[in-house]
Amino acid sequence: MAQLANIGELLSMLDSPTLGVRDDVTTIFKESLNSERGPMLVNTLVDYYLETNSQPVLHILTTLQEPHDKHLLDKINEYVGKAATRLSILSLLGHVVRLQPSWKHKLSQAPLLPSLLKCLKMDTDVVVLTTGVLVLITMLPMIPQSGKQHLLDFFDIFGRLSSWCLKKPGHVTEVYLVHLHASVYALFHRLYGMYPCNFVSFLRSHYSMKENVETFEEVVKPMMEHVRIHPELVTGSKDHELDPRRWKTLETHDVVIECAKISLDPTEASYEDGYSVSHQLSACLPHRSADVTTSPYVDTQNSYGGATSTPSSTSRLMLFSPAGQLPQSLSSPSTRLLPEPLQATLWSPSMVCGMTTPPTSPGNVPPDLSHPYSKAFGTTGGKGTPLGTPATSPPPAPPCPPDDCVHGPASQATAAPTRKEERADSSRPHLQRQQYPLNDRGLEDLPPSKSVTLGNLPYFLGDLASEEDSIEKDKEEAAISKELSEITTAEADPVVPRGGFDSPFYRDSLSGSQRKTHWTASGTQGSSVNPETLHSSLDKHGPDTPKQAFTPIDPPSGSADASPAGDRDRQTSLETSILTPSPCKIPPQRGVSFGSGQPPPYDHLFEVALPKTACHFVSKKTEELLKKVKGNPEEDCAPSTSPMEVLDRLIEQGADAHSKELSKLSLPSKSVDWTHFGDEIRTLRDQLLLLHNQLLYERFKRQQHALRNRRLLRKVIRAAALEEHNAAMKDQLKLQEEDIKMWKVSLQKEQTRYSQLQEQHDTMVTQLHSQIRQLQHDREEFYNQSQELQTKLEDCRNMIAELRAELKKANYKVCHTELLLSQVSQKLSNSESVQQQMEFLNRQLLVLGEVNELYLEQLQSKHPDTTKEVEMMKTAYRKELEKNRSHLLQQNQRLEASQKRVVELESLLAKKDHLLLEQKKYLEDVKSQASGQLQAAENRYEAQKKITRVLELEILDLYGRLEKDGRLRKLEEDKAETAEAAEERLDCCSDGCSDSLIGHNEEASGHNGETRTSRPSGTRVSCGGRSTGGSSSSSSELSTPEKPPSQRFSSRWETTVGEPSSSIPTVGSLPSSKSFLGMKARELFRNKSESQCDEDGVTSSSLSETLKTELGKDSGVENKTPFNLEASHPSSPNSDSVGQLHIMDYNETHHEHS
Amino acid sequence: MTDDSQRNFRSVYYEKVGFRGVEEKKSLEILLKDDPLDIEKLCTFSQRFPLPSMYRALVWKVLLGILPPHHDSHAKVMAYRKDQYSDVLHALMVVRFVNDATPQVEVYLRMYQLESGKLPRSPSFPLEPEDDVFLAIAKAMDEMVEDSVDCYWVTRCFVKQLNSKFRDSLPQLPKAFEQYLNLEDSRLLSHLKACSAVSKLPYDLWFKRCFAGCLPESSLQRVWDKVVSGSCKILVFVAVEILLTFKMKVMALNSAEKITKFLENIPQDSSDAIVSKAIDLWHKHCGTPVHSA
Repeated sequence: MAQLANIGELLSMLDSPTLGVRDDVTTIFKESLNSERGPMLVNTLVDYYLETNSQPVLHILTTLQEPHDKHLLDKINEYVGKAATRLSILSLLGHVVRLQPSWKHKLSQAPLLPSLLKCLKMDTDVVVLTTGVLVLITMLPMIPQSGKQHLLDFFDIFGRLSSWCLKKPGHVTEVYLVHLHASVYALFHRLYGMYPCNFVSFLRSHYSMKENVETFEEVVKPMMEHVRIHPELVTGSKDHELDPRRWKTLETHDVVIECAKISLDPTEASYEDGYSVSHQLSACLPHRSADVTTSPYVDTQNSYGGATSTPSSTSRLMLFSPAGQLPQSLSSPSTRLLPEPLQATLWSPSMVCGMTTPPTSPGNVPPDLSHPYSKAFGTTGGKGTPLGTPATSPPPAPPCPPDDCVHGPASQATAAPTRKEERADSSRPHLQRQQYPLNDRGLEDLPPSKSVTLGNLPYFLGDLASEEDSIEKDKEEAAISKELSEITTAEADPVVPRGGFDSPFYRDSLSGSQRKTHWTASGTQGSSVNPETLHSSLDKHGPDTPKQAFTPIDPPSGSADASPAGDRDRQTSLETSILTPSPCKIPPQRGVSFGSGQPPPYDHLFEVALPKTACHFVSKKTEELLKKVKGNPEEDCAPSTSPMEVLDRLIEQGADAHSKELSKLSLPSKSVDWTHFGDEIRTLRDQLLLLHNQLLYERFKRQQHALRNRRLLRKVIRAAALEEHNAAMKDQLKLQEEDIKMWKVSLQKEQTRYSQLQEQHDTMVTQLHSQIRQLQHDREEFYNQSQELQTKLEDCRNMIAELRAELKKANYKVCHTELLLSQVSQKLSNSESVQQQMEFLNRQLLVLGEVNELYLEQLQSKHPDTTKEVEMMKTAYRKELEKNRSHLLQQNQRLEASQKRVVELESLLAKKDHLLLEQKKYLEDVKSQASGQLQAAENRYEAQKKITRVLELEILDLYGRLEKDGRLRKLEEDKAETAEAAEERLDCCSDGCSDSLIGHNEEASGHNGETRTSRPSGTRVSCGGRSTGGSSSSSSELSTPEKPPSQRFSSRWETTVGEPSSSIPTVGSLPSSKSFLGMKARELFRNKSESQCDEDGVTSSSLSETLKTELGKDSGVENKTPFNLEASHPSSPNSDSVGQLHIMDYNETHHEHS
Repeated sequence: MTDDSQRNFRSVYYEKVGFRGVEEKKSLEILLKDDPLDIEKLCTFSQRFPLPSMYRALVWKVLLGILPPHHDSHAKVMAYRKDQYSDVLHALMVVRFVNDATPQVEVYLRMYQLESGKLPRSPSFPLEPEDDVFLAIAKAMDEMVEDSVDCYWVTRCFVKQLNSKFRDSLPQLPKAFEQYLNLEDSRLLSHLKACSAVSKLPYDLWFKRCFAGCLPESSLQRVWDKVVSGSCKILVFVAVEILLTFKMKVMALNSAEKITKFLENIPQDSSDAIVSKAIDLWHKHCGTPVHSA
């Protein structure tokens, strides 16, 4: 609940005059809406809005986001059901719908739609109906697919309302009917545009009824004059129209444009396709078409296109499309003014430079901002302002206008200030703002234009008033025009300062810097729009438009809280207060001048901006206008006037009436008469409301157009790009064609060459073919020949085989014969040898026979004494022969034995060589060992020598001392004693040695030369021929004869001296068995060769025995065989005498042999 | 091959890891098993590896020619040596050059003098410089070798080797010393030169006495292993290493006398390291002698 209270407070704060507070509250609401999902807040907001009509709340409601849409729709639905709130809730719905919220597709499903339709069917209040119809028309393009369900409802509504227009049920004022008519007209367009087949069939069925015929004649038929045949009537069908697929591809603005296309009403129609209206127009007013085509505007816009593509293209598009819109939207009065705004835009430096910012899509523009477009026409603003300003002294709550004014100035928009008027909505303060931009513009550009517009207005008003079939009279007109001129001047003046300085509105304005772009865009659009309206107004309704433009003036004054008196005051004050030297003063004059048909003084500006075209155009226009002015009456009889125009006129009239009314009112009376005017005020207010609705609707349409424009612009750009691309492609194509030509030429060349080559080739081929044929022929011949030859060859082979077989046989025979032959020859040789033997034997026989004869003769001759002797001899011979034979045998045996022996000996020899080598090695070893020992011994010996020397020295020294002492005697005794002492000392150390020495010496002398090596190793005697005796003598020589002890020493020394010689055995010498060497050697040989030697010994002994026996028998052979043995025999006895020395093996063998 | 199979297969890695001498003993034993000992191999071995102390005496004696290569004659030859020793000693006793109270080292000296025929006329005669060398060496050797006979013989042969085999190369050592010092640390050498201490370095102590008295015997014998096996260059590296080790101190000293004095009495605690490094250095510069096995 607290929250609710809160909301209440906040809501009240929403309308606070302070901008900051309002902003804050708005943001708070938005946030809470974002956070909350319940319907409560929305409901309270709607309620509050209905209560207070508060703009900020409206703003919040119109921008509701998705989750709240349902609540909003429900709430609206709820209120639609109630008659009291219907109107305001419908206007709210209108606001919401026009913004095209993101959830617009939900509208078709919402229960709101049926209830709205129901309301439209049932309600009797014209205002509500008009508003509702407008809302419905707005909604239709958004939910085209809903037609399926509600189509009949739509048609029913149309039928009802159209009949209303005629029947005027109840006491509906005429004025309302105009509005209703206009909205019905729009509904007609919309329905016809969207569902032509269905609609036509409905019309057919509905107006075929008798009671409706009148309505048809009066209302519907005129409407039908403004549409051309819908293409769908030809191509489409009822079902197809309702097919949702058809609508899927179309956006809202597409639908709107679709509808506009089929309109012939210049105010409604779209020229997008370049036909329809233009034709009609051209038909009606040839010069107009000329204008359209050749008008400078087109040029200018094109030129813009050159400078900045986007603005120009949009503007170009706009040139046609918005035409329909403008008249509807109360803009028509501006006809005269249009050139100026246009000019202004053209003039703007930024435009000239091509620096205008590209137009942004109106779709993006927030609702507030979109307003200005619809009110593009400054003229109205110009008029409206004076009235509006007083009405809303401080800006009550104009949602958008403030922004607008801010932007205008900020952007120093090209858009003429006048265009920004917003009075259409509420007829309230908005108006004021439009002027502000003026100031910014500086004094050069806009002011002139402004002044022109203002200046023109009175003139128009005057004109139009006169034309009007209304009650106004010329005088009144004149008065009005005068007054207006006054007002305008007055108004214009204040404008300057206000805009220039920071007016309250300015302050109110939101930070609108971002919106600059919109402004500029709107400027361009507005400018482009203007010509169109200009045309239209010029063509037909020139006179009316000014009036329309004035209409807004009425409602504001009426609806405005401020009293006319206030207005008055204000005006007057304004008038008095500021009369700037600015162009504002010019207008009156201008108006005059214009009226007189003279070219307006601002012509030079055109020249500056658009040297040729503009000038041309302006002059043309003025001419036209003059014509129109004159021919207005005729124009009135124009066959059909669309409800729109009627409405326009009504508005103008209303404006006039209002202005008159105002003028009539005196300050005091105003307050008094207030109640009297209550009724009228009410109607006026309603009218105002209706107008507002209408305006909003138009604005919506315009927005759709803008969307459309953007799309088309994009298409144009793309088309241009494609064209360029096409051109490039064409160029390429040309190049490629040239290439192709070249290739063709070269192809031809190649073909000719190819044909030549082909011919050559053919000739070659034929030649080769003939050759081949010939060769084949040859080949066949050869083949035959070869076959013949082969048969021959086979014959030959057969022959050869036969011959070979024969040859084999022959060979066989030959071999056989050869074998036989050899046998025979062998036999022959045998026989020959036998024969030879036989011959030899025969000869021998002969010889023997002869010898026999000879012997016989001898025998016969010596017969007596030889027989005995011969016999003796024979026996002797026989014996001798036997002897010899045995001898031979013996010798043979010996030979064999000796041969064996030789072999044995040779093996022995080898063995001995081997042994010898080993021995040598061993000897080397021993030698080195011995040398080592010897060295040691030598060392010792050396040492001994040294010792002796030292001792001798000592002794000599002692002697010397003795002799020197002079007491020789005494000393001699001493010497003897010392000698004895020395002897004793020596004795004790060498007693053992000396004993053995003596013994050995004796032995040595006994064995002299025989057994040198048999001595013990301790005492060695040299075998080198130094006898012990000699050694002793030498030792005695060495030692002083006086000293026997020394002799002993010497003997001992002698033995040591002799040592080395004994220890060096020569190789040839035979070491004794007892000696060191001998023992070693024995060991060595025993190990290695004893067994072998033993065997040898056995065999050799047996051999030797046999030999010995033979020796005894046969002495003759002795010389040869035992040669070696005998040679060795003599030595062996010698070695036997040294028997103990049997070191070597061969010693033993010798021994055995011997 | 059998030798190889007996050896530890890890032997290759011992040296890499830094264990030295694990395998040497075994291989030395193998070497010593040969009947005629291969002097060459022994030389190479002792140059390459430090000798185990239990075999040192034997190897030295063999290398110095005190013992013949044949095992069989060792006993006999040793007996000769012993006899000779006792004879000489006896003679000296007789001529009263020595008595029981005479220090062993002097006994050795007298014996050596006697054997080399340089025995002065009287024990009271002043000693020659070479006798001092002998004394120093003998003193060191006395520490190393227990048996006095062995000691005498080893000393005698050692000195003999110095005087005969190295007679030509010893005077070259100072030059070599400078050269290697320059290679190792030229700054130190320049410092020495700046102090003009190069010529006054204790070359006698180093090269003639072979560091006897300069290094403790435990380290010294490792140096002498190399000397005995025929390389006197090791002395140079020991000297270089000494200088390198005491570089800071030497650099701190400015006069040649001080340097010489310091070097003559270097602290003994780091000698082991010095010797090890010196051997490394020696191997580095002269290459590791190839085992000709």
